[in-house]
Amino acid sequence: MARYGMALDYKNCINCKACEVACKEENGVLLGADKHRIWVGVKEIEGEFPLLSIASNTFMPSQCQHCEHAPCQEVCPTHATHYDENGVVRVDPDKCILCSYCMNACPYDARYVDDRTMTVDKCNFCSDTRLARGETTTACQATCPTKVRIFGDLDDPNSEISQVLRDREHFSLKPHLGTKPKLFYLI
Amino acid sequence: MDLQKIIPYRKMSLKELLVPENKLMALIAIVLTALFFIGVIIYLIHGHHAYGVTREHPWGLLIAMYIFFVVSSTGLCIVGSFGDVFGFKDYMAVSKRAIFGSIITILSGFAVIAFEIGHPITMMIYNVLSPGLTSAIWWMGTLYGIYLTFMVIEFIFLMRNDMKNAKIFGLFGLLVGLAAHSNLGGVFGFLNARVVANGVFYPTYFILTAFITGIYLIFLMYGYKYRGKPFPEDVTKALINFMKIQGLLLAILMFFETWKMLTGVYGGMPERADVIMHILHTKSFWLGEVMCGMVIPFLLILKSKGTAIKSMVWASFIGMIGIFYMRYDLVHDAQLFPMQTLKIREYQLPPSFVDYFPSSTEMMIGFGGIGICLILYFLGTKLFDLDSMPEHH
Ligand code: SF4
Ligand code: SF4
Ligand code: SF4
Repeated sequence: MARYGMALDYKNCINCKACEVACKEENGVLLGADKHRIWVGVKEIEGEFPLLSIASNTFMPSQCQHCEHAPCQEVCPTHATHYDENGVVRVDPDKCILCSYCMNACPYDARYVDDRTMTVDKCNFCSDTRLARGETTTACQATCPTKVRIFGDLDDPNSEISQVLRDREHFSLKPHLGTKPKLFYLI
Repeated sequence: MDLQKIIPYRKMSLKELLVPENKLMALIAIVLTALFFIGVIIYLIHGHHAYGVTREHPWGLLIAMYIFFVVSSTGLCIVGSFGDVFGFKDYMAVSKRAIFGSIITILSGFAVIAFEIGHPITMMIYNVLSPGLTSAIWWMGTLYGIYLTFMVIEFIFLMRNDMKNAKIFGLFGLLVGLAAHSNLGGVFGFLNARVVANGVFYPTYFILTAFITGIYLIFLMYGYKYRGKPFPEDVTKALINFMKIQGLLLAILMFFETWKMLTGVYGGMPERADVIMHILHTKSFWLGEVMCGMVIPFLLILKSKGTAIKSMVWASFIGMIGIFYMRYDLVHDAQLFPMQTLKIREYQLPPSFVDYFPSSTEMMIGFGGIGICLILYFLGTKLFDLDSMPEHH
């Protein structure tokens, strides 16, 4: 099966938050809920006027990193958090006991409690909405006006994401933790 | 079936059982237990919204109180094992009471955690159907379940004065209890992303502080039983020995803590040094953990050369307050540093140290657990003979 990942051309992000809206709409995330599945972090401008560092002012779109070696999966006592056949880290709400251990273990603060099911939820690459319908893009990707996101199969050498990761330098967040994130930030 | 045949207990009418021996303690126990149930009702209506926990700080007072109770249980199990498992005669006098204490403290812990875990029934089902063997919580929960079973069987044999079987089950109970308890330390120690918690410190610290807690509690139990009276000779002997051991254990704990803080600050490593500095600026660390939990009892032990067992009862009370702060701070400190540090919304500041204060519902359930523990203790002291010494084998 596939091994899904996402590359983010993050310097193109304009912090319009269309991805947050699209994710909520597509995946039925509670309206009004703050930074639930997806969010954009703002690095503020450093320095005193007029010596402002323009380079310091960036937007960092983020969501679950779909770690290949996911601490949240490792700590889950009931296997509610698991890898699906596409390498996507998923939560089975029937098995989640809401012990919150995964929320503590996730180094990226990617998990939250869904107030309706009282279980833990997070981005699942639209697996039970768009991917289940046979689409090949995620909602946040499809809506992005500056085409920040490239979603696809890392195992397929001809996929757009594989090509771009071959061509461009990229980094991942907190790599020293050994979580092997499948979200790649393009430089 | 005659229950008496399984576990010998004192036959008494319900009225005799329920008439309190000390009105003030009975009142405290009943008020706390009532608060527990009020808290549970509020929780059942409002769910986790009744708690002060957040996405950034998902564990709060209830986890701390659960740890408080299971640390007490493991500690009392260690203390009780001196006499009945290892066969040191000088400690035999306190074994039955300690083992009984270890059972009721863990039951109180389970009562508290049942209202922190969102779906405790699901937990019992899927812990068995799809065990997460890499999860420290799975091991901790499962081992504590086995531990409780062993402790109950050990207690039954103790009540029957069948010391041989009590010894066997006591040994298994102790080993499983130590494994369970260090796994609870592992729940924090395994958190790679939480630099202050990650590592070997907590699994070993938990066993050390469990032993310390067990000794504080044995002083409290006997201090209460013989209030205003001298201790009998055999109890005096055991308590004096335990007081000396406590001096050593507290010294080791202070040594551990000092090095934890020094290595934490040294080199200014981000996420670690700043969190440790933050901890070193809190009153709960200095007054709660250090003064109450370690220094005051330690000075008393030093000054009296380990003989002032009556004063030690009060020092143990202060010590238990310190132990509470150790549990609370450990849960809080692990979550102090936010995992996502960028600003997310306009007109906000970037996240800094995560704030948490327990809600009134959490306090009712958490501290109410102490009421449950007290009621179980008073019922147990009436029903069971926790003092008589078996004939020596
Ligand atoms: S980012 Fe967090 S929630 Fe997502 S897979 Fe990694 S550890 Fe799990
Ligand atoms: S909260 Fe749910 S998904 Fe997270 S570790 Fe606990 S059982 Fe697993
Ligand atoms: S991939 Fe889907 S679920 Fe994940 S953040 Fe984007 S829209 Fe939401």
